[in-house]
Amino acid sequence: MKVLEATGITKLFPGVVALDSVDISFEPGQIHAIIGENGAGKSTLIKCLTGVYVPEEGSVEINGQDALKNKELFDKIAYVPQEIDLFGYMSVAENLFIPYEKSGFKGMVNQKALEEAARPLLAKFQIPVEPDELVKDISVSSQQLLQIARATVHEDYEVLMLDEPTTSLTTKDTQILFDIVRQIKSQNKAVVFISHKLEEIFALSDVITVFRNGKKVAYSEIGQVDIPWVIRQMTGREVDQNQVFCSEKVTDEVLMEVNDLTGERFTDVSFQLKRGEILGFSGLVGAGRSELMQAILGYLPVYKGTVRIDGENWKLGDPTFSVKHGYIYLPEERKKQGILPVLSIRENISVAVLDRLASATGISRKKEDELAQNVIDTYDVKTPDAEKEIQFLSGGNQQKVIIGRAMTCEPKVLVFDEPTKGIDVGTKAEIYRLMKELAEQKGIGIILISSEMDEIRKCSNRIIALYDGRKVGEFPATADKEEILSAIIGVG
Amino acid sequence: MNNEKSRSSNPIINALRKSNMTAIGAVLVVMILIASVTSPYFLDIYNLQSVIRDLAFVGMIGVAQSLLLLIGELDLSVGKIASLCGILSGMMMVYYHWNPWLALLVSLICGLIFGAINGLIITRLRLNSMVATIGMQGVYGGINLVLTKGKAITGIPEEIYFLGKGNVGPIPAPFIFCIAVLIIVLFIVKKTKTGRYIYAIGNSREAARILGINVDKIRVLIYSLVGLISALAGILYVARLGSSQSAIGENWPMNSIASSVIGGVALTGGIGNPAGALIGAAIISIIQNMIVLLGVNVYWQSAVSGFVVVIAISFGSISEILRERKARKVKVG
Ligand SMILES: Nc1ncnc2c1ncn2[C@@H]1O[C@H](COP(=O)(O)OP(=O)(O)OP(=O)(O)O)[C@@H](O)[C@H]1O
Ligand SMILES: [Mg+2]
Repeated sequence: MKVLEATGITKLFPGVVALDSVDISFEPGQIHAIIGENGAGKSTLIKCLTGVYVPEEGSVEINGQDALKNKELFDKIAYVPQEIDLFGYMSVAENLFIPYEKSGFKGMVNQKALEEAARPLLAKFQIPVEPDELVKDISVSSQQLLQIARATVHEDYEVLMLDEPTTSLTTKDTQILFDIVRQIKSQNKAVVFISHKLEEIFALSDVITVFRNGKKVAYSEIGQVDIPWVIRQMTGREVDQNQVFCSEKVTDEVLMEVNDLTGERFTDVSFQLKRGEILGFSGLVGAGRSELMQAILGYLPVYKGTVRIDGENWKLGDPTFSVKHGYIYLPEERKKQGILPVLSIRENISVAVLDRLASATGISRKKEDELAQNVIDTYDVKTPDAEKEIQFLSGGNQQKVIIGRAMTCEPKVLVFDEPTKGIDVGTKAEIYRLMKELAEQKGIGIILISSEMDEIRKCSNRIIALYDGRKVGEFPATADKEEILSAIIGVG
Repeated sequence: MNNEKSRSSNPIINALRKSNMTAIGAVLVVMILIASVTSPYFLDIYNLQSVIRDLAFVGMIGVAQSLLLLIGELDLSVGKIASLCGILSGMMMVYYHWNPWLALLVSLICGLIFGAINGLIITRLRLNSMVATIGMQGVYGGINLVLTKGKAITGIPEEIYFLGKGNVGPIPAPFIFCIAVLIIVLFIVKKTKTGRYIYAIGNSREAARILGINVDKIRVLIYSLVGLISALAGILYVARLGSSQSAIGENWPMNSIASSVIGGVALTGGIGNPAGALIGAAIISIIQNMIVLLGVNVYWQSAVSGFVVVIAISFGSISEILRERKARKVKVG
């Protein structure tokens, strides 16, 4: 028996066949994993199955009835989109129950009643916040859980669709989520789970569907297959999960020296970065790693301490200076701080190096086109052309454009802040390979901030652990995992 | 994955698809057709000249305002800056007998400074542009009243009248200034680094800062430019009336925003073309002219023109709604 059955779904975007006659169905009491490279069409499929997009072809049946004709059937589906879309300036309780009518709050809304109703839900999801706190003030991980709690408030849903719910969850919150998902499954509801983290998929799901380039390429029960099979189906090639990517051309020359740097979220941090080195920064969410690197950029204030890069005393507090002199920061919040969403790929790249593109009448369009095409070719960006608005690229391809842009600035120090968040396994390996290549061939210093222990150990030559804004340890690449772990949770 | 078929190889078709300027241009052409069919006086040369003279002012301010909308901000003090600069020029010419050209130049510089003050207050104190310029328009309007006690300054030297009242060939002089403003603004937006940075800031202020763009410097620059253009419009209007009056520019803040929005410039920043604001201004001016030509009752004029402007602003979203309806019909049958 199937609760949702879609047949022949085709969805087109300008220049792209996002979905190519896809058949898929979900059964009650089953956790159905969907996996595929960035841009394979996973989110687009979910949006077609929840009524957000109307597919060009195909049908969607919910409990045997045509949902494209009768939109109300989509109410049977609870949907948690890939991006957080909560109301930042409203309270946790308000976010949970909006729209109020549907939650059984008729007429006037009583703040106290809302907050009381919120408590059991917060307890169920173990979200450590008060119902009256503003959503913008709670942690990203809590926001993510809250978003899932909100989707499941109305008990009458029959399918729960989670689009990459764990990308911004801490390890602990991931476990909480998994327990809840299993509970939901035991209530005989269907769950659809999208993730790029293979371990999670194998830990949680019952069946798996693999997508490649808008087509469904494989389906199996999870017990019948293993990780290498999934990667093969996804990418069409083998990816060695154990390959290491640390730089093999670390010099003795100190490229960057940070002394006793103190700012709002970090205290007395000192470290050195060598030319040709990849230096990993490990720590929990909130340990102050991003803040430290953003302060060196000049984006956040520094209270005390000095920075020297390539023999130059660094001017602090001025991002224009830092970027011009070769300190480039690639932000973790790609959507908010990295891309310029409605501009084209070309404009996103050229904006960083306009001086070089000058011509007699302003900006040379020819040079600009060449530069953009060069980045697209070098970094293998999947796009019909350079004029596509960058917001319509998949996450991995956006990241490649941003790396390409950073490289055109000829950096000396390049900071990658969680560079593989939401990125598929194949592309992850490509990004690691790129980092290694940049460190070895261009002689730059790379700083890698990552919360994934495997990633940081695979790529770094040295690892620095931060806990609560302080440096609590420095480890060689070969260090024991447990040793680093205990440092970053503050028991070193 | 890339479907080569759905991608047109014709660059012109691609360009048309990408910009909604053609749609707005088409609306303007339709408006002109309707106007000339419904009223025989519309195409009369004197009427046309008066419409174009009106639209020159709204157009100039609209083009300036669109720069601010592109970075996601706006300036509600444009009208008061215009009238204050008009008053200052009048005082210099009439009370202090300055050389008129020097007086005009100094007034323009005053406009630039007023704009820069707006920009500095907004960036340094991290204020919301709308709230801050509501406050500043009170300040500029207040200074205006202190200086004039509400009385107009008459006796403006006749040698500057042609700037406002005159024609170059058949074309009203203010419109020449308006086109000059548009060309300069378009050059900045399309050809210079600053222009690219304006779009970058409008897309994401945070990303722009991380990219090393000096965001606040550019914001102050734009406010200053807007102040300068407002002053220009103000003194041209003084030349048109032959007197300096505090009432100059009363409707300019709202009309300039409306023209930009009709012209496809998004209030949220990052999207649009300043040339659209001029077309938007033309549409508004024709609407207002029609209302007069068709003899709408004087008391109704404001309500009718407001209503038609709301409809004009909705063109963009209405076509979107219709497109969705059609897509659903095709699908559901
Ligand atoms: N609104 C849109 N307009 C144009 N193209 C789009 C749009 N949304 C998605 N696409 C394109 O459709 C394809 C599928 O995108 P989709 O977001 O479904 O991928 P995904 O599998 O969810 O990737 P990710 O793992 O990065 O989230 C991509 O090539 C993308 O560029
Ligand atoms: Mg997706």
